[in-house]
Amino acid sequence: MKALNVAVLALLLVITSIAQAEMSHMGMRMGEWGMVMNENLQDLPQGCLKIAGVQKITIKAGREYAKPFPGTIFGYSQHEFNLPKCTQINVTFINEDNIRHQFMIHGLPTYLHPQGMFHMELYAKGEVKGTFITPSSDKTYLAHCDVAQHMEKGMKAQVKVGDGSGNLPSIPGVSGQLNKDVYALDLSVANIILVILLFFLGLASCLFFFIWRKH
Amino acid sequence: MKKFPVLGLILSAVILSIIALFLYNPYFIYSQYYEYTGMPAYEAAPPPKPKAELAKPVMCDEDYPEWRKAYTIGGMDIQASDACNPDNPYEVAAFVRGTNNIIMPVLMRTQLSDDAVVKTDDLDGDGDPDNITIRIEVAELNGRSPDELGFIPGFEIAPGVKPGAWVFAPKSRGMSTVNRENLNANHLLRLPSAPIRVEAGDNITLILENTHYFPHTVHLHGVDHVFSNNDGVPQTSEQMTMPGEQHLYKMKPRHAGTMMYHCHVQVQVHMMMGLQGLFIVEENKPNNWVQTFNVGAGKVRHPSVGVREDYVQEYDLHYQAIDTSLNNLIQTTNDPRQLAKKMNRLYDITDGTDDYFMLNGRSFPYTLRESLITVEPDQHVKLRVLNGTPEVIALHTHGHKATITAYDGVDVNPAAKITRDVYTIASAQRIDLDLYTKDDGLHSYGEGAWLMHDHAERAITTNGINPGGNVSQIVYRKYLNKNAMPNVEGVSIMPYFSPEYYKGELPTWSASDAFGWWDDVAGKSVQSYKDVILLIVLGMLAGVLFLLFNVMYSFLHDVAVKLKDRSR
Repeated sequence: MKALNVAVLALLLVITSIAQAEMSHMGMRMGEWGMVMNENLQDLPQGCLKIAGVQKITIKAGREYAKPFPGTIFGYSQHEFNLPKCTQINVTFINEDNIRHQFMIHGLPTYLHPQGMFHMELYAKGEVKGTFITPSSDKTYLAHCDVAQHMEKGMKAQVKVGDGSGNLPSIPGVSGQLNKDVYALDLSVANIILVILLFFLGLASCLFFFIWRKH
Repeated sequence: MKKFPVLGLILSAVILSIIALFLYNPYFIYSQYYEYTGMPAYEAAPPPKPKAELAKPVMCDEDYPEWRKAYTIGGMDIQASDACNPDNPYEVAAFVRGTNNIIMPVLMRTQLSDDAVVKTDDLDGDGDPDNITIRIEVAELNGRSPDELGFIPGFEIAPGVKPGAWVFAPKSRGMSTVNRENLNANHLLRLPSAPIRVEAGDNITLILENTHYFPHTVHLHGVDHVFSNNDGVPQTSEQMTMPGEQHLYKMKPRHAGTMMYHCHVQVQVHMMMGLQGLFIVEENKPNNWVQTFNVGAGKVRHPSVGVREDYVQEYDLHYQAIDTSLNNLIQTTNDPRQLAKKMNRLYDITDGTDDYFMLNGRSFPYTLRESLITVEPDQHVKLRVLNGTPEVIALHTHGHKATITAYDGVDVNPAAKITRDVYTIASAQRIDLDLYTKDDGLHSYGEGAWLMHDHAERAITTNGINPGGNVSQIVYRKYLNKNAMPNVEGVSIMPYFSPEYYKGELPTWSASDAFGWWDDVAGKSVQSYKDVILLIVLGMLAGVLFLLFNVMYSFLHDVAVKLKDRSR
């Protein structure tokens, strides 16, 4: 029994040492730091004759970046990225919080990225690099952190390739909510006076119109 | 201004009213004067409503039936499970060995992060690791989205029932939803907060990683731990863990038993939102690799050495209740500032009433998919029961009298052990039960698909609709069908799997009501000449009343003019 225990522990140690090292599996880099999934370093998207260039972007993630946007808790250092087509993008993703954050781009060509997804994830504070190649058409892609409620609470960005295809909803600083939050009326004196003033302006203009018509 | 003969108008109004009354309901006359009027003619009651066309519901929505068999992964035995949706055996293996001690292909079959459960260093040389690091995150279920009307990530506790909730979950990786199209939560994010198991004497580091948008802590209720910076109470022992921060809780529990953990920030809100779970300290035994998480509670597929000595099987049973006027607040706004006010200051738990009652995060009939206790005759089965509701529960086992072996993690004196069929459990209390399936007329009355539920009757409903709530079953395996559902011999349970049933849109007994005795009744429609006349008379009455008002207005107007003239 003792011998068996020792054997199990020895096996355990071996497996542990493997687990500690960075592992690569099915187009995926993964370790105790996090993971990068569905990277694309060289495959050309359809419609691209060659890789037109190389561009670097840096995304910082954390609660610090929620400050400029009231009502959010988490955020990215940048919520919109304008990228040229057919370009190799070297992404540096930095997590400044002591929890898990992701930078995940959706809707990319599925022949390059399984499920159309390029995914970078950090389990805690840290930094990781990853690469993808922008497709050949004008399109806006969703980028977000899919930890429960992180996108809803501010970790949402859009990646515009070429001219993009319009804006996505509720991107902090860029676009509004579709399912809008409702707020109560501000009851401060200044606001109330302004409300009454504008209301009477409308009323007066209407009355004036009728009087003018009568004459 | 006497254009209208006022008296005539009043008279017509009275006459028309009487005619209308007679046409509408002549029976107050008939019931007293039938001797003079004769019997009323037969009038058929309205027909039944046409039956709703329902999609055929799925009773067992199995994804991986092959997971039900027994496995040996990484040298660890994982018991077979009879559940419709059994726990992922690879994930169980990862919890038993630690995510740091399993090979990549096993980890890839789970959705755990590499550092979710780290087990190292056999300090006492007894064949199991003694330094254990456990990481938990806080996840929201059925929350609001600023972009769409659905709730995200979705979690159904019963057909079509999606209350808001928060849970502690093992640290995971990847998406919180199944994928970008299916916005239901991945299987790790679910009610109840995952039960945690540790071995007595181990050095445990429990790391709370606050991925949520409110502050949280962990209070280790009943677990031996030092006080300072470690008790989870924001007013006494530590600062709250803010969003984006983590907090380390250290313990080396000396006493084994069934305990719990819960958030201690705004407890009346956070505990009821779901931030509460079982925390079980197993006895220190050689070669004791314990299953650190039991996601979704229910059957423990790798019981500890101590439990296996006395029991064939082990189940975690976590009872919870939800007041929708609290839980669904998170579906009303996306702004955390508004939510903090609504939940902490406007919601008043003293006015609260519970609407949903859950066993292991689901209400009947979904309890049948994952919380059945499946037994063979002559087995000792260990049940660890936690009451997470704000009321006392009265758990009742049909066909069995089980023995309470421990209260709050402390063994009952063997001479004073109580065997009964209703177990009263106070809020936050835990009891250990020895369910003995010996057919002796006391411990068991024999094989069957027996019911098990809280006997406080509100708890067997889902927002008042029965059967629902925390109803589950003790099922002898002979009574299991090949779809992993109990082979019940009574009324078809199929309608209960339709969301319409819990919206109150289906007649309760529709599955057994061949005669249509208790169908929904259609409303009154225009059928006889009486109905036609009644409507015309009502129209005339409205006309007469209008003219009367006209007269009254003219009169008042005249009075006003006269008064004005006089004052000049």
